[in-house]
Amino acid sequence: MMEFFTTTTLGIALLVTGQALLVIVPLFVALAFLMYGDRKVWAAVQMRRGPNQVGVFGVLQSFADLLKYIVKEVVVPAGADKFVFYLAPMMTFVLALIAWAVIPWNPTWVVADINVAVLYIFAVSSLEVYGVIMGGWASNSKYAFLGSLRSAAQMISYEVSIGLIIIGVIISTGSLNFGDIVAAQDGNYGLFSWYWLPHFPMVILFFVSALAETNRPPFDLPEAESELVAGYQVEYSSTPFLLFMMGELLSVVLMCALISLLFFGGWLSPIPGIPDSILWLIGKMLFFFFMFAMVKAITPRYRYDQLMRLGWKVFLPMSLGWVVLVAFFAQYGAFGGAYARWAIGG
Amino acid sequence: MEDLLREYLPIVIFLGLAIAIGLVFIFAALIIAVRNPDPEKVSAYECGFNAFDDSRMKFDVRFYLVSILFIIFDLEIAFLFPWAVAFKDVGLLGFWSMIVFLGVLTVGFAYEWKKGALEWE
Amino acid sequence: MDTDLIAASVRASSPEIIVIIGACAALMLSLWPHQDQQKYLTWLSLITILLASAQTLQLSPRPVNIVETTYSGMFVVDAFATYFKMLLYLGTALTILMSGKFLQTEEAVKGEYYVLLLFALAGTMIMVSGADLLIIYIGLELQALSIYVLTGFLKTRGRSVEAALKYVILGAFSSGILLYGLSLIYGLTGSTQLGVLNSALATADLSEPMLILATVFLLVGLLFKIGAVPFHMWVPDIYEGAPTPITAYLSVASKTAAFAVLLRVFMGSLIGLEPLWSSGLAAIAVATMALGSLVALVQDNIKRLLAYSSISHVGFLLLGIIAGTTSGMSAILLYLLIYTFMTLGLFAIVILLHRDVRAGEPLTLFSGLAQSHAGLAFMAMIFLFSLAGIPPTGGFFAKFYVLVALIDAGHVTLAVIAVLLSAVAAWFYLRLIMLIYIQPAEPTTGSTAAPATGPTGHARAAILLSAPMRLVLLFSFSGTVLSGIFPAWFLAMARQASLSGLGN
Repeated sequence: MMEFFTTTTLGIALLVTGQALLVIVPLFVALAFLMYGDRKVWAAVQMRRGPNQVGVFGVLQSFADLLKYIVKEVVVPAGADKFVFYLAPMMTFVLALIAWAVIPWNPTWVVADINVAVLYIFAVSSLEVYGVIMGGWASNSKYAFLGSLRSAAQMISYEVSIGLIIIGVIISTGSLNFGDIVAAQDGNYGLFSWYWLPHFPMVILFFVSALAETNRPPFDLPEAESELVAGYQVEYSSTPFLLFMMGELLSVVLMCALISLLFFGGWLSPIPGIPDSILWLIGKMLFFFFMFAMVKAITPRYRYDQLMRLGWKVFLPMSLGWVVLVAFFAQYGAFGGAYARWAIGG
Repeated sequence: MEDLLREYLPIVIFLGLAIAIGLVFIFAALIIAVRNPDPEKVSAYECGFNAFDDSRMKFDVRFYLVSILFIIFDLEIAFLFPWAVAFKDVGLLGFWSMIVFLGVLTVGFAYEWKKGALEWE
Repeated sequence: MDTDLIAASVRASSPEIIVIIGACAALMLSLWPHQDQQKYLTWLSLITILLASAQTLQLSPRPVNIVETTYSGMFVVDAFATYFKMLLYLGTALTILMSGKFLQTEEAVKGEYYVLLLFALAGTMIMVSGADLLIIYIGLELQALSIYVLTGFLKTRGRSVEAALKYVILGAFSSGILLYGLSLIYGLTGSTQLGVLNSALATADLSEPMLILATVFLLVGLLFKIGAVPFHMWVPDIYEGAPTPITAYLSVASKTAAFAVLLRVFMGSLIGLEPLWSSGLAAIAVATMALGSLVALVQDNIKRLLAYSSISHVGFLLLGIIAGTTSGMSAILLYLLIYTFMTLGLFAIVILLHRDVRAGEPLTLFSGLAQSHAGLAFMAMIFLFSLAGIPPTGGFFAKFYVLVALIDAGHVTLAVIAVLLSAVAAWFYLRLIMLIYIQPAEPTTGSTAAPATGPTGHARAAILLSAPMRLVLLFSFSGTVLSGIFPAWFLAMARQASLSGLGN
C-alpha cells in the first residue's frame, strides 16, 4: 500500500494532494479565528466588545460572515471588464495561497521542498500586485482606479526593501531553502542564536515593510475610507470581495510565517533543552499576528507622500547599506562568524 | 518521475487546489445568491453625481516613474540572489565585483534622489 | 594566481575604469548647482580624459606587436586599441571644449551633458578594446544609449527631440540586427571570442546559408552604425537635429569606434570569410561615396551637407578595408585621425557662427565670412580643402594612401571610381569656400530677430573667441596642416598601430 503512494505517479499525486489539503484546511480554519482575533484585539484596544453574538463570545462570527458573503448578490458594475473583474480576486487569492506550498512546518513537514523557496515566495508575492491593478482597472470606477494605482505603487516600493532584507539573510545562510535557513539559526544559545540578533535593525524594517506590502494599517492608504472609500475593492461584493479579503489575510499570515522563519528560528525552541516543535512556529506566528493587530489598533494612518518617502528614502538606503555591511561581515568573518553561518557550520 | 518534477509537483497541485477553492467560492455566490441588477445598482460608485462613462483615465506620471525605479531595483535584487546564495563560492573577486556594482548603483540612486525622482508633492 | 589575473585585468582596463569613475564623479558634481559648475565639469572631464590617456600610453605595448589579453580573452590591449583610444580621447576632448559656448547659447547647460559624453567615451573605448563580440556589443550599447540622450539634449527644440527619437528607433533596430548576426555566429562556432572565431571560421564551409546570413547581419549592423549606403538614411536627419557639438562627436568619435570594430571583426576574425563579404562591401563603398557626394551638392543646410560629406568619407574609408592589406588598414587609421582634425575644426567654426537653433544652419551662415573674420575664413578654407582632399592638406594624404593601398591590392577600377567621385565631392566643398570668399554677406532674410548689423551693413556680430574654442581651432588646424606637411610621420604612427595584428 505504501508503495503505491511513493512510486506510481497517481499515488504520488494523491499523496501530495493530501499533504496540500493538510496545510490548506487547517490554514482556513485558523484564518477564520484569526480574523475574529484581529477584530477582538482591535475592539479591546478601543474599549469595545467586538463580535460577541455568534457562538460563545462570538467565536463563530467568521463562519457567519462566510455564509453571509455567499448569499449576497454579486454586483458587476456597468462598464466593467467582466472577465478581469472576476480574475482579479481569484489572482489575489490564488497567489496568496500557493505561496504557502513552500513554507515548512518542521524539518521534514513541507509540501514542496524546493531549493529556491525564498525566491519562489518573492516571485509569487511580486505577482500579487497584479490582482490589485486588475481589480482597480476592471471596476471602471475612479475610486477603484486611483486606489489600485496607489496600492500598486506602495506594494512595489516596499517590495524592494523586503527583497534586500532577505538578501542579507541569504548571505548569512548560503541557501534559499527555508529548512537550511532555520537550521543555520540552530545554535547553542537558544533564542540568541537566531538571526534577529545579528540582523536586528532589519527585523523592524521587515516588519514595517510587511505592513506596507500587505496594505495593513498604518499603511492602508489604498483603502483609506476617508478619501478613497475602499480603494480598489470598492465595487466588489459577495464572494469576490471575500476572496480579496482572504487573500490579504493569507498574505499577512504568510508575512508572520516569514518573519518567524527568517529571523526567529522557525520551529526552534528559544531555550536550549526544550525540544523543537511545530508549536513553536505556530506560537511565533500568532505572536506576530498579534503585533499586526496591535499596530492596526494603535497607529494613525500615514500620509501617502510620507509613505513613499519612508519606503524610498529611508528603508531602501538602509537595507541596501545593510546588505553591503552583512557582505563585509560575512566575507571577513566578523563577530565570530555570526554573519557567515555556513563558515562555522552552524 | 524525475526528481525535479517531483519537487515542483506539489506547487502545481497547490495551484490547482487554490484555483478550485476560488472558483467554488465565486460560483457559490453566483448560484446561491439572488441576482437582481438595476441601472442604479450597477453604476459605478461616485459621490453624489452620475458616473462618467469611462474612468480609465490619464494618471500621474510619478506612478510610472515609481514603476521604472522598481524595475531597476528589483532587477538588482534578482542579480543579488544568485550572488548571495553562492557567496561562499564566488571568492574575493565575486565579492568585490558586487560591491563595485552596488557602488555604481548607489551613484545612480543618489542622482535620482537629488533630482527629485523620489519626491511626492 | 587568481588575484594576479584579476589585477592584470583591472590594470589593462584601467583607462576605462578611470573614465567611468570620472563620469560618476561628474554626475555627483552636477547635482549641486553652482555658478561655475560648467567650468568645473569641463575641467573634471578634461582631466579625466588626460589621466586616461596617460594611463593608455603607459599601458601601450612595447614592442608594438605584443598583445595583452585579459578578462579571459574578452578584453585586449594592443597597439591598435591604443591608437584608437588616443583618437577617441582627442575627439571627445575637443567636443567637450567646443560644447561650452554652444550650451550657453542654447541655455542647456546641464551636468549630464558631460557625464553622458564621458560614458559614451567609455563605451567607445570598450568597443575598440573588446576581443569578444558580446563585450563589443556592450560597449556599443553604452555608447549608443548615451548618444541617444545627447541627441535629444535640447529638450525644448522639436528638431533635437525628433532626431533623438529617430536615432533611438533606428539604433535599436540596427543593434538588433547586429545581435542577431552575433547569435548566429555563436550558434555556428560555439564562441563569441574573436580569436576563437578566427580559427573556427578558417575552415568553414562558405556555402553554408547560415554562415552567409550571419556575416550579412553582422556587416549590416556595423554598416548601420557608420552610416554606409543603403543604411545611411538616419545620418542627415540626426546630424541636423542633434546639438552641433554632438553632431561633431557623432561624425568623429562614434564613427571611429565603429570602424575599429569593423576592422577588428572583419579584417581580423572574419578574414576567412572574405569571399563572402568583399564584393558586397565594394559595391556598398562605391554607392556610399556616390550618394554622399551627389546628394551633398543640393543641400542648403550646413549640418546636412556635412552629414552627406561624412557619408562619402565613410565610403572612402570602406575602400581601405577592401584593399585588405596592412597598408590599407594603416591608411584607414591615418584617414580617421586626419578626418577627426578637419571635421572637428569645421564643426567648431559652425558652432562659432551658430546663432539660434530656430534659424537653423543655412549655408549662408558662411557667406562673407572672409570680410568680417579673415582668420576664421582662412581656417575654414583649409578645413574644407582638406575635406575635399586638395594637397597639401592632410585630407589629400588621407585619401592618397587609401588609393595607394587599393592599387597595390590590384583594385584599379575602384581606385579610379574613387578619384572621380572625390572630384565630385570637391565641388560642394569649393562651393562653401566660394561663399566664404566671394559672396558678400546676405542680409538675414526671413528672420525678424536680425542680429546687430555692423557698420559695413554686415549681418554678423563680432564673434567672440573663447579660450576653449581657440584651443579647439588651434588643435584641429595644426593637426590638419601638419598632417599635410609631414604625412610620413603620421603614417608611421598609423602603420605601427596596424602592425599589431588585431589582437588575434
